[in-house]
Amino acid sequence: MAKEEKNKFRVQYGEAVGTVAAQSLGEPGTQMILRSFHYAGVESTISTSGLPRIVELVDAKKKPTTPITYIYLDKGIAKSFDKADEMVRKISEVTMNSVVRRVDENFAKGKIRLILSSQEVEAARITTKGVASKISKDFGFETKADGRTIEISVGTRDPKKVRAERVRIMNSIISGIEGAGKVMIRQDEQTKEFYLIASGSDIESIIDIPGVDSTRIITNDVFAVYRLFGVEAARNVIADELAKTLNEQKIGVNRRHLALIADAMTARGNIKGVGRHGLSGEKGSVLARAAYEETVKHLVHAAVYGEIDHMNGVTENVLVGKQVPVGTGTVKLAIKKEDLSKIGKKK
Amino acid sequence: MKTEAISHIKFGVMNPEYIKALGVVKLTVPDTYNEDGYPIDGGLLDQRLGVIDPGLICKTCGARAKSCPGHFGRIELVRPAIHSEFGKTLYMILQSTCRNCNRLLLDDESLAKYRGEKPIDPDAIVAEGEEGAAEVKSAMLKRLKDIKKCERCGTQKKKLKFSLPTYFYVEDYKLKPNEIRDMVSKISNDDLEILGIDAENSRPEWLIIDILLVPPVNVRPSITLESGERSEDELTHKLVDIMRINQRLEQNLNAGAPQIIIDDLWELLQYHVTTYFNNETSNIPPARHRSGRALKTLTQRLKGKEGRFRYNLSGKRVNYSARTVISVDPNVDIDEVGVPFAIASKLTVPFYVTEWNIEHAKKMLMSKDYPAVLNVISRDGKRKRVIDTNKEEILKELSPGDMMERQLVDGDIVLFNRQPSLHRMSIMAHRTKVLPGKTFRINLCVAAPYNADFDGDEMNLHVPQTLEARAEAKVLMMAHNQVFSPRDGNVVIGTEQDGITGAYEMTAEDAYVTKEEAAYLLAVSGIYELPEEAKNGKYLARDVFSMLLPRDLSFEFKTKSGKAKIKNGRLIDGRIDNNSIGRGNNALFMKIRNDYGFEELKKFIYSSSKMLDAYVTLMGFTLGVREYVNDDRLVKDRERMLAETFEKVKKLISDYKEGKLESLIGYTQKSSLERMIIAELNLVRDRAGADVLKTKTEKNTAMDMVSSGARGNILNVVQMMMFLGQQATITGGRINRGYATRRALPHIEPGDLSPKGRGFVTTSFYGGLDPIDLFMHAVGSRGSEIYKALLTARSGYLYRRLSNALQDYYVDVDYSVRDAANNLIETQYGGDLVDPMYTKVKNIE
Repeated sequence: MAKEEKNKFRVQYGEAVGTVAAQSLGEPGTQMILRSFHYAGVESTISTSGLPRIVELVDAKKKPTTPITYIYLDKGIAKSFDKADEMVRKISEVTMNSVVRRVDENFAKGKIRLILSSQEVEAARITTKGVASKISKDFGFETKADGRTIEISVGTRDPKKVRAERVRIMNSIISGIEGAGKVMIRQDEQTKEFYLIASGSDIESIIDIPGVDSTRIITNDVFAVYRLFGVEAARNVIADELAKTLNEQKIGVNRRHLALIADAMTARGNIKGVGRHGLSGEKGSVLARAAYEETVKHLVHAAVYGEIDHMNGVTENVLVGKQVPVGTGTVKLAIKKEDLSKIGKKK
Repeated sequence: MKTEAISHIKFGVMNPEYIKALGVVKLTVPDTYNEDGYPIDGGLLDQRLGVIDPGLICKTCGARAKSCPGHFGRIELVRPAIHSEFGKTLYMILQSTCRNCNRLLLDDESLAKYRGEKPIDPDAIVAEGEEGAAEVKSAMLKRLKDIKKCERCGTQKKKLKFSLPTYFYVEDYKLKPNEIRDMVSKISNDDLEILGIDAENSRPEWLIIDILLVPPVNVRPSITLESGERSEDELTHKLVDIMRINQRLEQNLNAGAPQIIIDDLWELLQYHVTTYFNNETSNIPPARHRSGRALKTLTQRLKGKEGRFRYNLSGKRVNYSARTVISVDPNVDIDEVGVPFAIASKLTVPFYVTEWNIEHAKKMLMSKDYPAVLNVISRDGKRKRVIDTNKEEILKELSPGDMMERQLVDGDIVLFNRQPSLHRMSIMAHRTKVLPGKTFRINLCVAAPYNADFDGDEMNLHVPQTLEARAEAKVLMMAHNQVFSPRDGNVVIGTEQDGITGAYEMTAEDAYVTKEEAAYLLAVSGIYELPEEAKNGKYLARDVFSMLLPRDLSFEFKTKSGKAKIKNGRLIDGRIDNNSIGRGNNALFMKIRNDYGFEELKKFIYSSSKMLDAYVTLMGFTLGVREYVNDDRLVKDRERMLAETFEKVKKLISDYKEGKLESLIGYTQKSSLERMIIAELNLVRDRAGADVLKTKTEKNTAMDMVSSGARGNILNVVQMMMFLGQQATITGGRINRGYATRRALPHIEPGDLSPKGRGFVTTSFYGGLDPIDLFMHAVGSRGSEIYKALLTARSGYLYRRLSNALQDYYVDVDYSVRDAANNLIETQYGGDLVDPMYTKVKNIE
């Protein structure tokens, strides 16, 4: 493209890109709808979508409501369903809670009886015996397996302790990786390659499992990515997730706006939300913070700690009636009016 | 008066000497007016505090009501009270210091460390920069809090209990404010500075109030009711309370009352001082008005949406503005706005008199015709209203440097706005066009960016008052410069509805017009030559349309239904539809903008919309029920498709009941079933759409509107001709509630999972809804109405947060993005410096 042509498409100096980005995400907010009836096919995974997901992302929530991890397998085994299935068994998190249909406590005898759900047991491809031996191994209790029933002698009759053991057992993991969630196999339509989708986001543990392609693992959990891959990767996840969520709703927002929001959230080397506990709450200007939320708190703090407002931002200048320092407000005259007369005299 | 821009604002705590100096009057009488209705000297409306009644003279500055800024007074409390907002600060200080040696509880080495003279152990440094400093500080405070024994003098720290807002206990003994003051006043500035406190300007003992500053009457004006009765401001009432208790306390002290009574009164004084500052202090019952409503005291005046900051300081009120109902006028250009004469004759534009235009200025001043000069502001700032009797006099005095305010005329630049101002296209600059009538007139094409319709919408108009503002409005904000949205580069100002239908019909291969019609269509859009004749004295309609295009325009582009080709300014192939004349991803507009500029594009939009509207009007375009008559084939298709789908759903349900259904990841069996059923039911709707598209091949105006993108989509047609489809609840699920048995109506079997039982509407608008379907449809509509209300509130708050967080960011001279503190946010905007407004151009995305 010709150079002048390219210059025509350039951003202009002073452009209030932050405001434009905020408008670009804020304006279509009202258009977002719960379009669950618009999906053509069955969504294979639960995922928060629409406005709640956007809010979650810009708030920098520590854990997504519905974490999802895409696990790709090493090239060598990716085409084999059996290998992929084996990986599922290795990774997929099966908790006692998910397979047990009913729990009975017998305080008098100090026993806990679990009745497993046939459906879940089959789905997780475990056996009653296996579960029983796992309990024996992990907790050291005597167990008896019969059909779908497991009887555990917890070795105490103190109701409090029996109840505590019950909670411990129910929260324990039978197989897989804690935090990996349920795992399912998917096949890529084009490459015919098998990959896994997990409803958890513990990529720190998953990535080390042999067979997992560590270069292609991806999750929607911003903080998990931040911990494992660092802030720049997290920045990309924020922007990607925003783009994905908007895309689902067929709302077009240019990538640059989303990238700016992600950059703003990560510019300090960690992840900050946009609310009063994040970017807005950490502004340098006392007046800007006071005008936003928690007015008195900021004024009191400013008084005790002797804060100075340097009037560099938009809000504080609006408050005192000065020109705002963005857009055409960034430009000033190089020569003062008074000095102009001096120049004339010299000549 | 010399004025200077505010360069910075420093915050601090007022010290007693300062308050004494600032408070010009010592207030002693806890009352306002005497029996004669005259302000009591030493009372809360003492005339030395300033005057607000016209005619009175301030006893402090000697100025009259409007020019007296008001003066502070003071109340000297006989016993001190703690400033309730600073309770936590005092607690932090007391916790961190030793009662014996009055130093921080740390030894010299630690002090040096926290003062930054010695390196801090790596454990304390969590991150670099500011973040690190904050972490170090909070670690220090925690350490100070946990220290049991002073590291300096070895004194055991007594357990200090603090309870919000102002109560301090040492081993069950309640500390008195003066005792706390004695403690904190002994702490040195140096030690306080380690805690981060700006001791020079905020000594902790100043947080305990001896002298209470009383705001001037201007801050708490009294109002006179219709009955002539005076009603005082709530703040005045609160101050009266404080003074009363103060007086009673003083009397009791002088009378040597028992300690219990003194303490009770002291406590009460503290209560009033606390609620004076903040009537929503936790753990404190709010002070109430006679009516039982909680008083609005200082904090309440500042905070929240209706508080001083957001309501008065961030939101400014302006002059030179107008507001009225809007209506459409196709003869108003897209960058014009029709202004009613009544408004145009009141609004003014500044006219600066110079030695070069003074003759013109004089003529304008004396002219009896429109526009008249309404005011003259001489160079020394004196404003004079021009009336017939003083015209001559003003004329004599008129000299270069004066400014005249003249009435609005055609072509003036104004800003036009519709709330809510959600994006920058909500405020655009227009050229005025003074018109008869009482409404603002705009072109239909610019209604979309304002999100306006004409069912009673009102809009605001502002007249820029400086040359600089006018220039900025003209260069940056003109409506035709805003055709493309910076959100995604799509067109937001384009032809609407009928115009698109017109374009679609007009550019059909076999659309011909007579010579008269062609001439009419062209004349409407300001073109006075005819295209080449096609055959038998008739003209190809698309040739007539092509006359709007620039002569040398040649390119191919995608349309909604396929491709189109323009060669040498003539459309030779394809039909123009929404994708080349309307809003959205409009290739034609983008081409014209890039090759010919915004001005040319504006002309094209305006003239084309006029011609296209004229074409539809000329040719006629009708939509009626007959468009939605479903013939036998469609009826059969509908029955077949529904039967097939219901069969599949039945299979899913029976699979589920037998436990054979394979559940989806992360779903229980039951919700998997729901998801699958919903997917199946959506599929049938899409299939019905495809079927309608396939079947309705003969001329059908409804289908024409769908395929041209003028209005409606295939789903709307399906709902009218075939069936409505699944009705959803707020949560996105199928309708399953109303009765205890989880069903919506008694006509449905409990536990019925079939489509019909869960809100799948099988009847159509054309055929009419059966009673159950009607009910389900109503449930769905109600749900979506509720959902909309919830969503707007949520998205509004998201927007507020986003814009607040990002508003300081701008592109710096080096094209990096910076915030207010000059922190680097992006090294290059967007990575490639491209303005998103131009991103729909080929080669750039």
